[in-house]
Amino acid sequence: MKCMIDGREIEVEPGTSIILAAQRLGIRIPHFCWHPDLSVDGNCRMCVVEIEGSSKPQTACSTMVTDGMVVHTDSPQVRKARRATLELLLVNHPIDCPVCDQAGECYLQDQYMEHGLHDARISLDEKVRKRKVVDLGPIVLDAERCVLCSRCIRFEREVTGTNQLGFVGRGDHTEIAAFDNRPISHNYAGNLADVCPVGALLSRDFRFRMRVWFLESTPSVCPGCSTGCNIFIDHRDGEIHRLRPRRNVSVNRSWMCDLGRALYKGAGAPSRLLGARLRSEDDRGMIPVGEALDLLSSRLRDAGEDVAFLASPQATNEDLFAFQSLCDAVSGMLDFRVDDPQDRMAVLEDGVLLRADRNPNTRGCLELGLGRTGVDAIMSACRAGRVKALLLQGPELLRTPAAGIFLEKVPFVAVMAENDEPALARAHLVLPAAAWTENEGTFVNFARRVQRIERAIEPPGESRPRWRLASDLLARLSRPLDATTAWDVFRLASRSTAAFSGLEHVSIGESGLDLDAIKES
Amino acid sequence: MSSRVFTVNRNVHPGFWPIIIGHWETLKNLFRTLVLRQASTIQYPEQKRDVSRRYRGIHILAARADGTPKCVACFLCATVCPAECIHIEAGERPERTIEKYPVRFEIDLLRCVYCGFCVDACPEEAILMSRENDLVGTSREELIIDRDRLMRRAGLAEHGVGYRPTDHDLRRPVRIEAIEDMKNRYGLNGPRPRR
Repeated sequence: MKCMIDGREIEVEPGTSIILAAQRLGIRIPHFCWHPDLSVDGNCRMCVVEIEGSSKPQTACSTMVTDGMVVHTDSPQVRKARRATLELLLVNHPIDCPVCDQAGECYLQDQYMEHGLHDARISLDEKVRKRKVVDLGPIVLDAERCVLCSRCIRFEREVTGTNQLGFVGRGDHTEIAAFDNRPISHNYAGNLADVCPVGALLSRDFRFRMRVWFLESTPSVCPGCSTGCNIFIDHRDGEIHRLRPRRNVSVNRSWMCDLGRALYKGAGAPSRLLGARLRSEDDRGMIPVGEALDLLSSRLRDAGEDVAFLASPQATNEDLFAFQSLCDAVSGMLDFRVDDPQDRMAVLEDGVLLRADRNPNTRGCLELGLGRTGVDAIMSACRAGRVKALLLQGPELLRTPAAGIFLEKVPFVAVMAENDEPALARAHLVLPAAAWTENEGTFVNFARRVQRIERAIEPPGESRPRWRLASDLLARLSRPLDATTAWDVFRLASRSTAAFSGLEHVSIGESGLDLDAIKES
Repeated sequence: MSSRVFTVNRNVHPGFWPIIIGHWETLKNLFRTLVLRQASTIQYPEQKRDVSRRYRGIHILAARADGTPKCVACFLCATVCPAECIHIEAGERPERTIEKYPVRFEIDLLRCVYCGFCVDACPEEAILMSRENDLVGTSREELIIDRDRLMRRAGLAEHGVGYRPTDHDLRRPVRIEAIEDMKNRYGLNGPRPRR
């Protein structure tokens, strides 16, 4: 089916709306109520376009392309209609941009600058006053700023099925409300602030933290569960201020859960480990990381084959591969399944995005073949006193209640960790690891989709990525890893792992690759 | 383009006249300063130079009637600042009509280039400039001046308000109000420094 938009021809499949067809040509049609992942409502009237043969402008979001349709998105008639719509939407807007967190990513601001630029005909005193700063739990509602686009209502209806928001009142007194002002209780409240095109629904957590135009966005993947929602890390001057979803139709569409949104806090927490720590008789003293690695490598060398390695499904494939190479270098025991996340990987927890397995890379551990010895076998060897040194890639094992009993007879336990916690006291040596926001690499989600994370900020203090810790140890064991970046490690991993063969970080791209689809093609 | 080169013969005695001319200039200025009192220099710091009414000196944060800052922490001054010398942290105000105010507002006066862009950018006329220009301190930290010091400027009555947005924009009552308030509080145009 062919149509002409602004003099450019495009062929689309039947059932494509004009707004989507235009988007494919790179023409952005202004809109408020239309959202690519919600149903079409057509209430804001901002997306009107001129269609030849039709006397009045039509909404581009709800009009499907027909064969031979000729569309003009920037004709005088369209411009006039848009201006009128925008002026009407702004009639009762409080214009409190200086205190509004949406400023800088507000559809009203952007579209006023692009299509409006009219003088106000209504003074501030004449405007209809509505409720401001209404506390809805994780969301703050300002009814005055609302343009009544109903995106939030459709999100509640179609994505979470909770229907907690609705319109009340009539005419210009219509406003968004939650019944009895009850707080938004589901796990996807943050998305309401994202779908809101204006500053009516804003995040409580991000409130007044930072103006958005200062933020730099790094594409990444949420490490909160095995779904692997695509996200942006918004940061400024080495500090992360928020996480927000990045659209990926194959994974999370435009959404992410609130548990995931809160994960940025760990990376900037005051409990971050800034250096290595050695448990000694008198006190637990900080030592330089280089010294700690010297000590650990000599321990590994002395222990011979009586070494056990426990990988973490929180780590990237690169971290895992380097860890595996380290294990191979001393031919020790290796596994990763503490608490067996494998069983829960495919279980959806709330029917939307969140999965029961809260590790981003359990699948990656399986692809790389890290489940070798079995955790039970390693534990019984520890208990029998046959393990002379144990290296943990994450603190998961130390957190389990039985860890104390199992580790009693292990003379040397080393752990890589980001944050200090009481459980780390069980280890003899603590190595500071970079958090996921400070590392680059790949995760494989529950559906065997390999996705890339990128480094947003620098690791604090002496902490370094886990693959770097492992490769530093390998260099000390005179088995250096031929890699200077995480992507070099991935290249090495792709050579020896069937699932990743022929892949490079460039080919994975920003939206990831389905490993099953690659195999078929 | 070539430049011309002069050769000066320094061996020739210049004669008596240049000395007379030189001394004449000196004596003329001595007479002007001592007798006619027309010296161009001033006795700083006892005397201060009269500066323009739009002089861009040390900043002022305007206050509301209740003593809280007028600033709503919109960060526009920090955004426009070419020297990146303004540091703001926003907090929540109990009044729902205002919502936001600066918990911290610091200007590093050693970084500041006194361009006045912050005054131009401010939508609330909360930041103004004074005509105070003598900035003295014994440490760098002392010259990072915080919200409360910016709001209660000791030298303001003496120097007066300097650069501020012109009040020809009569459609915005908030601006006039602020200026009236400053007039009552400090005397907007200030007593002019005596010479």
